[in-house]
Amino acid sequence: MAHNKTSARVLTWGTIPRTVPSILQDLPVICAGLALFYALLSMTHYWLAPANAQTEIQLGVSALPKYAMFSVLRIAIAYVFSFAFTLVYGYIAAYNARAERFMIPLLDTLQSIPVLSFLPGVMLAMVALFPTRQLGVELGSILLIFTGQVWNMTFSFYSSLKSIPREMREVAEIYRWSWWQRFTQMELPYSAIGLVWNSMMSVAGGWFFLMACEMFVLGNRDLRLPGLGSYLQTAANAGDMRAIIWGLGVMIGIIVLIDQLIWRPVIAWTEKFKFEQVESVEAPHSFVLDLLKRSRVLPFLARVSVIPAREYLSLYFAKKQAASASKQGAGFIGRWVSRLILGAMLAGVAYAFLKMSMLLAGLTKAEARGIFVGAGATFLRVMFTLALAGLWTIPVGVIVGLKPKLSAIVQPIAQVAASVPATALFPIILLMLIKVGGGLGIGSIVLLLLGTQWYILFNVIAGAMAIPTDLKEVCNVFRIDKLERWRELYLPGIFPYLITGFVTASGGAWNASIIAEYFRFKGQTYTVTGLGSVISSAADSGNSRVLIAATILMAAMVVTINRLLWRRLYALAATKFKLET
Amino acid sequence: MTPPLAGKLHEFVTQQKWEFATALLQGLSASDASDLIMAVRFEEQQELFRRLPIPLVASIVNHLPYFHAYVLLHARSLHEMAAIVEAMSQAERDHFLDALPEEAWNSLMDELAEAGSTTPPHAAEISEAQHEQSFAARTPVDEKPIIEARGISKSFPQKDGSEILVIAPVDLSVEPNTIIALLGPSGSGKSTLLRMLTGLAAPTAGEVRWHGEAVRECIPNVAIVFQSFALFPWLTVLENVESPLLARGMEHEERHRRALKAIDAVGLKNFETAYPKELSGGMKQRVGFARALAVEPEVLFMDEPFSALDVLTAENLRGDLMDLWLAKKIPTRSIFIVTHNIEEAVLLADRVIVLGRNPARIRADFRIALPQPRDRKSAAFFPYVDYIYKVMTKPELTLAPPSATAKQPAPLLPHARPGGVAGLLELLIDRGGEEDLYHVAETLLLEVDDLLPILDAATMLGFATAHEGDVKITPAGRTFAEADISTRKHLFREALKHVPLMQQIVTALESKSDHTMPMEFFRDLLDERLPAHDVEQQSETALNWGRYADIFTYNSETDRLRLILAGETAESQEATRLH
Repeated sequence: MAHNKTSARVLTWGTIPRTVPSILQDLPVICAGLALFYALLSMTHYWLAPANAQTEIQLGVSALPKYAMFSVLRIAIAYVFSFAFTLVYGYIAAYNARAERFMIPLLDTLQSIPVLSFLPGVMLAMVALFPTRQLGVELGSILLIFTGQVWNMTFSFYSSLKSIPREMREVAEIYRWSWWQRFTQMELPYSAIGLVWNSMMSVAGGWFFLMACEMFVLGNRDLRLPGLGSYLQTAANAGDMRAIIWGLGVMIGIIVLIDQLIWRPVIAWTEKFKFEQVESVEAPHSFVLDLLKRSRVLPFLARVSVIPAREYLSLYFAKKQAASASKQGAGFIGRWVSRLILGAMLAGVAYAFLKMSMLLAGLTKAEARGIFVGAGATFLRVMFTLALAGLWTIPVGVIVGLKPKLSAIVQPIAQVAASVPATALFPIILLMLIKVGGGLGIGSIVLLLLGTQWYILFNVIAGAMAIPTDLKEVCNVFRIDKLERWRELYLPGIFPYLITGFVTASGGAWNASIIAEYFRFKGQTYTVTGLGSVISSAADSGNSRVLIAATILMAAMVVTINRLLWRRLYALAATKFKLET
Repeated sequence: MTPPLAGKLHEFVTQQKWEFATALLQGLSASDASDLIMAVRFEEQQELFRRLPIPLVASIVNHLPYFHAYVLLHARSLHEMAAIVEAMSQAERDHFLDALPEEAWNSLMDELAEAGSTTPPHAAEISEAQHEQSFAARTPVDEKPIIEARGISKSFPQKDGSEILVIAPVDLSVEPNTIIALLGPSGSGKSTLLRMLTGLAAPTAGEVRWHGEAVRECIPNVAIVFQSFALFPWLTVLENVESPLLARGMEHEERHRRALKAIDAVGLKNFETAYPKELSGGMKQRVGFARALAVEPEVLFMDEPFSALDVLTAENLRGDLMDLWLAKKIPTRSIFIVTHNIEEAVLLADRVIVLGRNPARIRADFRIALPQPRDRKSAAFFPYVDYIYKVMTKPELTLAPPSATAKQPAPLLPHARPGGVAGLLELLIDRGGEEDLYHVAETLLLEVDDLLPILDAATMLGFATAHEGDVKITPAGRTFAEADISTRKHLFREALKHVPLMQQIVTALESKSDHTMPMEFFRDLLDERLPAHDVEQQSETALNWGRYADIFTYNSETDRLRLILAGETAESQEATRLH
């Protein structure tokens, strides 16, 4: 259905240009460029303003566009940092065997540390760097968003690099491709699809934690930055339902817009990087991409900028490579530089470890008990949420997945629903719960559920759709009853997908517990017992001792659960339950 | 030939009673004597050849299969060899020498010349004929090799610190104006050898020289065509072909011109802007060729370039490649092609190198002196194919130089299924019990790669014998092939009693009171002496054979083997396990 619609639209666009001056075709592109320019200008203007941590957040609707713009730019800048970090870190980890041995476990650990645990350290460092400018707090906020976005992208890039086929690498080697050519013609294209999907997930994560990243208490300082997240948070504090709904509407609008204007075209464009030998029948389409392809400004800009630059860089690096091939000096220096960096990093880690142990030694008994009790509570809460999510998503997902017509309708709706950050809905849900007499106890589970169920649902649908038709027909031929069908076909069939969904959901649930268990609403702070609330309140009160201890415990639990439970189930899924057709 | 006579000969040899052996053989006609010699073990044949008087040997030589005779002759010193050849009658000598492939003939002539014997009178005319034949093969022998490998070997370290030798030290040179085909069974290290020659992989020992200079990284002026094409799906045909030129820092216009020329040469004009996924397999490989030719390589390496294509496409592409090569439309001076297709090698190559395995070493290296283009139906074509089959099926023992560094490889289970063995035997019965391997491969549409393990399995189990490129069914094999399924299982079980690995498993299972063992245990045993890939294959084959023969059952969930005891069946055992 959707497919037909886009092609119809494309047709009309294809016919209009005959009568409309060609400049009109490029109007959207030019406007977008101007808007971006204006946004950057006002952002820098604001950044270089003197520090004013106590920005008043206005709840008027007229302030929303400005706030929305600030938030979008913050997420965008954080994303650019994430992308750069991903390329550098992933590259080194994939090619330096010695570095790989500690970089990958480190990444694994960092990924399991909740965003808020980075807060005090990042903020204090940034404010200390730029004490008199708004830039400090802003950079802090951006870095926080960065810590929520970067890890999965890095993992994706790293594993893509590791899985480039051997013969492809040999082509690059035998024809002596330069570093630059390998990067632009092999490594980046090969990783493109994984990077795009993970980028989408990362940006969604950015929205999820936006409220926490734009407004927070640091010791005795109450910091807030103008943005959509702080708007929603302030509205929740004030209990202003109208403002909440307006803010939520704008947020959803932006998310849908970004999806249409950026992700869809990018996905349609990355189709060409698919590593397949045969052309796929149904490729994703994007109206915006078609528009861009039709534009005359862009090819012109490319002709004068990108194409000559690419040519120049390729030749420059190729000649440099040819020159350095004869002398072996570069490798020697490179080795020493990498050794030096490695040494510095090791020293830094050792120092940090020492400082941390000294800090942790001061942990009181009561604090330790609180952390452990909280860990148990959060563990049970996460497991309960996952079970609950599985309970409704498995039957629904299988039923939807088995009926192609139904899944064509349900999947897009579910995708929009999933793209709404659960944190933004939280004030509304909490308000309703309080009205009917519930509290954060139920609220936290609802929030976790909202944040995590989609991963499972999407995977179950995909799994059910992948069950081979001949197996279903066998069931029909032998008149196998419903129960038997579920036990013998559907559940084993979706098992690998289900595990993938659960792994992602479990990681997300632990991270979300930070926000779900500790919420400021209508001037009060609602909390429930849990590791998340321990971390949140420690971050708020600036108790770094408890913060670090609780963070370590959470990271340890997440990593342990991954190793002991999910990885084993993964192995089982990859061997016994793999459906090969 | 009566077995008692063979037994007697065997007895004489083991007791070193040479005069009795001589008397025995002299009492027979030359052809009977040669049959009798063929009936004893190869080592004994060599010993006999070393001890028997020269006139007797000379009378027998021509009755032995020519290649066999050639090898056996080398049991004697050069002078004695020369004397034996001298002592042969004119007609027999002509017959024997004519039958030899050119390479063997060449080397024998060299040896005889070295021994100082007078050149056989007819050698001059043969040599002239040979010369005429090799005209098309452009072989100026005195030109220096482009690539020279000296004693290159490859070994992989094992967990316990020892090393597994995958490729034994090999000397190899790539001389100009030659197409070299490297043949060998799968897993024999052909691709690794190719990668060492190009500088893609570093040899563990030895060195590769390119124009006399030691190679440290990739050789600058080579190209490789890959089996999987290895094209970049996000680059157009033109960009794919241009990519190696870009790497050389070539400016846009020049790059474009050369890429278009290469694309045109392989017949892909007007496809420049297409993406690889829009092309068929054959066209993709044409892009692969264009990319390789665009760099104007001095040596063009090809790693099974036609294996991923269907028969007709491959034939077509091979023809086009040969046209380019023969018409000298490409500046390439040598082509080195790795293949497991024997016909392909004989069709294309001026020189064929056959690799053996465990570890890989050169088993034969000879020239093919047929004019190009070659016709696979021609009378001269078949003997080469036949000869390669013979080399590849000959027990490795005969050609293996003793190597001190390598661990003695234990006999491996050929990676074949019982069903495959039965299929081969049934075919043999159909064909009257004996058939040429080349024809078997043709009938079954099997590459030699797939056929050899089945043949090895049949011989290991005593169901068939292979000899000189022919395979013959044994009485045991006939009984097996004609039996019903349960008798077959019984016969298979009996045959497995002579297979060391299977016996090892049975003994281990019998020694346990509950008759079960984890498969992991046997995998670990194998792991100590084999690379990981072989361990997988060995355990898979052992499981297949053992389960087929009802020796044990295997539960994949618990990874345990369980011996099937007398009076028990796999089904009854399964039933008890479930209860």
